Amino acid sequence: MVRGGAARILWAAMTFLVIPALAVLTAAAETPSAREIMERVEDRDEGHPSIIDVEMTLIDKSGRKRLREIRAFGMDRGEDELQLLFFLAPADLKDTGFLTYDYDEFGKDEEQWLYLPALKKTKRIASNDRSGSFMGSDFSYADMTSRDLDQYDYTLMKETDVDGVPVWQIESVPRTAKESKETGYTKSILFVRKDNYVVIRSVGWLKKAGRLKYMDVKALEEIDGIWVETEIHMTTKKGQKTLHKTVLRNSNIRLEQEEIGEDFFTVRQMEKGL
Amino acid sequence: MLRRRLWGCLCAGLLAALLCGFVAMPALAADAAEIDEVLAGFDDEEDADLQEILEGFDEEDGLEAAEAEDEPDSSFWRLSGELFLGSSYNLRSHRPPPGSAQYSGLSRLRLELDLELDLELPRSWKARIAGRGFYDFAYRIHGRSNYTDEVLDLYQWEAEFTEVYLQGSLLRDLDLKVGRQVVNWGTGETFRVVDVLNPLDNREPGLVDIEDLRLPVVMTKLDYYFGDWDLSLIAVHERRLNEDPVFGSDFFPPELGLGLPDREPAQTLGNTEWAVALRGVFEGWDLGFFAARYYEDTPRVEFPGFEVVRGAVVPLPTRHSRITLLGATSNLALGDWLLRGEVAHRDGLEYFHRSGRKTSRLDVLLGVDYSGFTDTLIAVDLVNRRVHGWQNSFLDTPDFTRRNSVEMAFRIQRDFLRDTLHVTLLAVGFGKKIEDGGVVRLGVDYDLLDALSVGGGVLLFESGDLPPLSAFGPNDRVYFETRYSF
Repeated sequence: MVRGGAARILWAAMTFLVIPALAVLTAAAETPSAREIMERVEDRDEGHPSIIDVEMTLIDKSGRKRLREIRAFGMDRGEDELQLLFFLAPADLKDTGFLTYDYDEFGKDEEQWLYLPALKKTKRIASNDRSGSFMGSDFSYADMTSRDLDQYDYTLMKETDVDGVPVWQIESVPRTAKESKETGYTKSILFVRKDNYVVIRSVGWLKKAGRLKYMDVKALEEIDGIWVETEIHMTTKKGQKTLHKTVLRNSNIRLEQEEIGEDFFTVRQMEKGL
Repeated sequence: MLRRRLWGCLCAGLLAALLCGFVAMPALAADAAEIDEVLAGFDDEEDADLQEILEGFDEEDGLEAAEAEDEPDSSFWRLSGELFLGSSYNLRSHRPPPGSAQYSGLSRLRLELDLELDLELPRSWKARIAGRGFYDFAYRIHGRSNYTDEVLDLYQWEAEFTEVYLQGSLLRDLDLKVGRQVVNWGTGETFRVVDVLNPLDNREPGLVDIEDLRLPVVMTKLDYYFGDWDLSLIAVHERRLNEDPVFGSDFFPPELGLGLPDREPAQTLGNTEWAVALRGVFEGWDLGFFAARYYEDTPRVEFPGFEVVRGAVVPLPTRHSRITLLGATSNLALGDWLLRGEVAHRDGLEYFHRSGRKTSRLDVLLGVDYSGFTDTLIAVDLVNRRVHGWQNSFLDTPDFTRRNSVEMAFRIQRDFLRDTLHVTLLAVGFGKKIEDGGVVRLGVDYDLLDALSVGGGVLLFESGDLPPLSAFGPNDRVYFETRYSF
């Protein structure tokens, strides 16, 4: 009887204490931390070296459209990212080149050069301000380059879904006022797909009072095993009012173009053009 | 009076820069406090508020882009260009030299067409054939007979090939570009220290688009790349000189009288200009070394200035000195600051008052660009040109040269309305106290459409004590421009 009572107590303890604890531990082991998720987002294979034709449609609140066309070349050099952009349209920007060395090392300024074909001149750009609009679009220079994870605090808010696809909802807050000033964001909420670590949505709180930027990946394709966003909408809003919107479409996507070497990402190539 | 006005404009420029900073500074100063406050607000944000914000993804805004065209342009040729209509209005009426036109009101109504044909050739070679032509209706409106032949020849109409070249790689690290082209040396946009290979279009000082400022010349350019370095070897085959204001034009200095005939260097093999550049691009900085053997664009009067032919005294034509240049440039990027420097030693300069003895000049440029304000660039340049072997008589006719010529420039440009509105203020002063003249240009450009832009602005001039800016003062003007690019 006593033995039987002890057994029941043991089973009860197993049922109410150990099993839930194990379940919690198991769940904790399965759910990575927000920081781990963001590391996987950063480490995601982007298929570099790559060539992508980018078309940006800039739409103002009255519906007036402007078109920007770019051919973008990208590659990794160790942890650093090299990018060379050639503007194809509009006509007055044709053949303009923009070269960026985005260094991974903390505190090391990225390097940028701009080739102005009308002047036949390459200008070195010295600016830490990445909050400015990229070619008048809703994308800022900060949106076009990778973030230093150490400059942010990440919090896993919850697991949810976007259009039926499971995602992690993560809050990202810059750790310093300097980072916030340079990127223009005071905070962001990111939605990361669980199956492929693609940020498919984000909303960013801009320093400019009351303004929010919504990034929404409308089309995503798996090309040679690598996930690539093929249509992204970036919308700037104030309250519920849309101030401006940019529709970015990627096409003619060529990934892992090993014939593109480091010597392509040079001032020489930028001046030679496509 | 005018000097005060110019300084007023310079001060206005500085004030504009300060205002720019003023607008930005409160935001910067309030950063820390505001962020803490805002971030604290996030902590106690109601779930309902966040939900409302996230619903923003699903709201219809009715702003849709047209469907993308997936087919890339695979044609081996491409024709592009620009149609330009520009006009200027003189704000002050004046008549430059005796016998020339009264300049007032409309002084330019120019219709211009630029065309570029780009060809993609086998093995990644390329070719470009570009040309431009313009006609200025202002001279017909005012009556051609009111202008000198020199003015009509230079200003009324023009048609020329601009860039015509072939470009490609001979070897993996060796590029060739041969034909009429522009080679832009130097670090700044306002002053030239080592940038000597292309002549300039100075016909309307301050008003020529910076894109059209350098006149292309026929060159052969070889570039060899090794490591972080680029070694350029250049032979300039075409003798082409600056296009400066001519007798009868509103910018022509009265000290030059009727102007003298100019004996341009002949287009011979022996007169080929040579240049070498070695440029390195490194992490955070650049370095360049330059050498050139070229003809000075500015003509000099030969001593004694005249000769006797069959008993008659006739003026000697002006000539162009052959110069040897050695120079260096550097850029250093420090956060939002770009520090620029140029130095050049020119040897072979000749002066009327130092006949038969060549001399040299040392030019030094220090410049800084600041890009810390969003969509804004502020640039300041300071140049000193020091003539060795200078003597007081150099100040007299026809040399008009100071021992030290100081040049200063302040430029602020900012883009507004998502890169559709561009505002530029440029103030340039010559002389420590602007005693050698100055120019202030305030310009605004607005992109009505991707292909269509309109703009305008005002140009204010201050006359200098010496040519070439001695006749600039009465030429204040406003201008309007429309461009259609295709």
